[in-house]
Amino acid sequence: MSTHTYKKFENAGSGDLPDRMTIYQDCMSEFNESPVNPKRCRLLISRLLRLLAEGETFPENEATALFFSISKLFQHPNDSLRQSVYLAIKALSSISEDVLMATSSIMKDVQNGSDLVKPNAIRALTTVLDESTAFSAERLLKSAVVNKHPSISSAALTSSYHLLPIAEATAKRFVNETQEAVMDLKPFPHRNVVGDYYPNSTFITQYHALGLLYQLKKSDKMALLKLIRQFSDNNTLKSQLAKVGLVKLVSELVTRDAQLFSSFQPLLNNWLSNKYESVQLETAKLITNFAIQHPHLVSAELHASAVTTLQSLLTVPRVSARFAALRILNRVSMVSPEKIVVCNPELESLINDPNRNISTYAITTLLKTGTESNISSLISTITKFIHEVSDDFKIIIVDAIRTLSINFPQEWMAILNFLIDVLKNGEGGLKFKNNIVEALIDMVSFVPQAKDLALENLCDFIEDCEFNEILVRILHLLGKEGPSTATPSLYVRHIYNRVVLENSIIRSAAVVALSKFALTKNDPTLGESIVSLLRRIANDQDDEVRDRATIALKFIESAKKEENPEAREFVQSRYSYDLPSLESKLSSYISSNADSFQTPFDVTNIRKYTEDEAKAIELKKKQEQLLKGHLENGSESTPGLEEGSKGEKRDSSYAGPSLDEHQEDLRSTKYAEELLSMEQIKEFGPLVNSSRTIDLTDPEAEFVVRGVKHLFNNHAVLQFNITNTLTDIALDNVTVTCTPENPSESSLEELFSLSIDRLSPSQEAACYVAYNKSEEIVMEGFLNNLTFTTRELDPETQQPLDDTEGFQDEFDIDSIFLNAGDYIKSSFVGDFTNAFDELPNEEVAVYNIKENITLQELVDRLVVNTSCLPLESTQYAPSDSSSHTVKLFGKSALKGEKIALVVKLIKTSKGIAMKAQGRSEDATLCSYLVNGLM
Amino acid sequence: MGNFFSSMFDRLWGVNKELRILILGLDGAGKTTILYRLQIGEVVTTKPTIGFNVETLSYKNLKLNVWDLGGQTSIRPYWRCYYADTAAVIFVVDSTDKDRMATAAKELHLMLQEEELQDSALLVFANKQDQPGALTASEVSKELNLVELKDRSWSIVASSAVKGEGITEGLDWLIDVVKEEQL
Repeated sequence: MSTHTYKKFENAGSGDLPDRMTIYQDCMSEFNESPVNPKRCRLLISRLLRLLAEGETFPENEATALFFSISKLFQHPNDSLRQSVYLAIKALSSISEDVLMATSSIMKDVQNGSDLVKPNAIRALTTVLDESTAFSAERLLKSAVVNKHPSISSAALTSSYHLLPIAEATAKRFVNETQEAVMDLKPFPHRNVVGDYYPNSTFITQYHALGLLYQLKKSDKMALLKLIRQFSDNNTLKSQLAKVGLVKLVSELVTRDAQLFSSFQPLLNNWLSNKYESVQLETAKLITNFAIQHPHLVSAELHASAVTTLQSLLTVPRVSARFAALRILNRVSMVSPEKIVVCNPELESLINDPNRNISTYAITTLLKTGTESNISSLISTITKFIHEVSDDFKIIIVDAIRTLSINFPQEWMAILNFLIDVLKNGEGGLKFKNNIVEALIDMVSFVPQAKDLALENLCDFIEDCEFNEILVRILHLLGKEGPSTATPSLYVRHIYNRVVLENSIIRSAAVVALSKFALTKNDPTLGESIVSLLRRIANDQDDEVRDRATIALKFIESAKKEENPEAREFVQSRYSYDLPSLESKLSSYISSNADSFQTPFDVTNIRKYTEDEAKAIELKKKQEQLLKGHLENGSESTPGLEEGSKGEKRDSSYAGPSLDEHQEDLRSTKYAEELLSMEQIKEFGPLVNSSRTIDLTDPEAEFVVRGVKHLFNNHAVLQFNITNTLTDIALDNVTVTCTPENPSESSLEELFSLSIDRLSPSQEAACYVAYNKSEEIVMEGFLNNLTFTTRELDPETQQPLDDTEGFQDEFDIDSIFLNAGDYIKSSFVGDFTNAFDELPNEEVAVYNIKENITLQELVDRLVVNTSCLPLESTQYAPSDSSSHTVKLFGKSALKGEKIALVVKLIKTSKGIAMKAQGRSEDATLCSYLVNGLM
Repeated sequence: MGNFFSSMFDRLWGVNKELRILILGLDGAGKTTILYRLQIGEVVTTKPTIGFNVETLSYKNLKLNVWDLGGQTSIRPYWRCYYADTAAVIFVVDSTDKDRMATAAKELHLMLQEEELQDSALLVFANKQDQPGALTASEVSKELNLVELKDRSWSIVASSAVKGEGITEGLDWLIDVVKEEQL
């Protein structure tokens, strides 16, 4: 019988997964046998575990039956069998019912078992405990935590960690024992083994204990501070990982409270020269990350020594250390490349590192630290090497190059040649090619000099491209950009080739692109040819292609004959809709289908962007993404680095993760919708512009108030979003009273103000104050005052206590200013210098700023105050130079006049001198803006 | 091969045969105390058993595989998972707990109806005789309605696990019956 049974196991090594039912039957019969055969049972359990590990699962009743039969194996005292039993219990505990039946038996092993099974037993114990049974294990776990044997202690510590979500109250009582476990050195092996097979103990228990201790105390800042003080001095911590854990703890604390950083500086400096590479790395990471968020809180020396540490780590033999150091440097390079220029020699030698990850990272970092002078040589280095790396790295490199194209528009020739080369010669999948095309599209949109050459090469590329998605994108781009080039007919030929040669999806895209050439102004003869081409296409065998051709023909015809602006708009649209708001409007239109779609969808409420505005928005998003994408993987909440949210986030350094752009878009759309849904405000006509939200109180205040300024043609509306952060007080009749700063001179006339009837705890609601204003630009400051009646709430029902009347109360909030920037929308222009020179009215103003702020902070403030788009990546002030020039471009929100600003900044010991030079089509706006920058 | 011979001898002499014995009863009756009294001969401090304890002990050349299952209401439904191949059931009753005698009787009769336990012998311990106010063995027997049991060898023994009285007597009887009937 035994030979027979063993034969069945023969194919265990073959790699096929054993059959689920066979295993189930075998287990059930074998485990219920009496007496049990430990060897066979162990083998069966291992097969069962393999099955579970491969993702196979059992229905609940079978899992439960298995669990009970396995629980019967507790009768056998064999240690090895017991170990496998525990593994099986752990694996089954999540899919089987009634696992608590094993509790007593496991606890017995935790108490009296051999050292061999104890750790397993402890780990299995947490999986069978629940909140009500956890207390009975408390004493056992406590004594296991302080056990001298490192494996047992570690098992108990990690299990307590897992116990936290199940029975927090029980685990919280382990604090003293855990503290003891950190202090207590438990070398592994436990007893002295003859010979020195294990040369060094890792003292891993300390790491586990520290991790648990943090979990137990994480809400108590003072306790954590004490923890760090206690474990950082002398040599309490022997474990490398525990030390790294301690560094992370510091990182966590300074993220919560940035002011603590200065007190940690000596400690961090000390850690930078720790004997463990990992500790050095972690510390350097902490310092550089923190410096990105709070540049003025980190001393220059500390940052420099962090960079030096990283620099020396770049040359160590260990690959992982080199990689980690490089990764940190790469992140620094995103924000302040000038700080790591010192590492350039090491970085350059790493380009030829045998490890491709390292060489790729080295190149992308060099691309950031590179200056205009060495970019072309770098690119030629990359060209030699790019064909040898895998697609993933190619994508990283192409992305880095793409950033370059935005940051160094002057170097477009080298960049473009590189992109074209990899596009044409490089092997690669869809994603890679798509990235290249995307980079080229960026160049076409943002680097006007490169447009013709890039388009031409894209045309060549589509002659032989296997990816539909990319083809369609390029055709769309050709249709959009082609008509405005010098030789539109060139593109028509390429597009028509697609119609002849490709499948229906591409044919339809090509038809749309073709039709856009019909109205081109550069070449009037082209129109005729397009029409005749389209006529030919109208006989296509595919429905979609035919339909598109026919409709395009109709539009072109009516656009030509009757000078019909609508038809012209359809053929070649000059604006696009704000897509997030269009989407939300459409979905609400579909869901609130009141009269079975009798009323047509009203598109007039949705914001339209002209091409320049759309480009401005896109460029802004790209710049933000570049920073964000690379930073967020390192630090969980990187409060607004991008200039977009920096203005509003600066004061609330730990207000939570920054909103992503999409939400930001939706929020402004939401405001517009809310405003226009109010009868009184609806009369004001379309919303012209909304400002960003501005904090008017401390983010930790009892009532958090944030303001938004809305402009209409003849009206202005101030919106105050009020959040009640109290838990047991409701606010009634909340109003904001706004008084103009100079009541006598004010040209604004208050129309009405809308109050909030009741603001319940932790709710957010908005008050509005509306003003009449002339069509001219009006600037004004408002002193604001929040008035309300507090009502105490019954904690149970959350209803106000009836007997209390409530108190009338007031709350001062910051002033809000309606300034010139509110009349401006950011806009994009490809060639700033040219555009600036062309604008007629000039205005110059000089400022002397006494405040002690960095250039970067001033630049951020300028961007926010003017609402203009910073161009040619001038939004980053170099931290090693004392002067900087910002180039800003925008358009009047009211009438669309262009405005361009060149602001020169020089930092001296006395402050910052600023010279602003503005040019605009609108003289008043220009003078208001230039004179009202600060 | 050696395995084969030893199992032959075992069968010949009747040694090393494992007997499965279950100890059941309401919570707090003294099951775990009896188990460890049997195994190590001492009184251990116990706490309510969540699940079960299992011990192997040798008694008169026999290997006994004794399962002590928890008696709490929440655990009783799982008793049945351990009924298979049971040679004997030891049912422990707290003789001082007059209020729950009816519950004990109900659980006992419910258990004995199980198909898998048809051939197993029954030993009832009227435990905690050292306590004042404990019912005598015959009183307990009456409360539990033991006389109704047909086709089954059963016995009731007055015991005190703490003092160690009655335990061996009861077990002696049980082993004799099992040897006679099942070996």
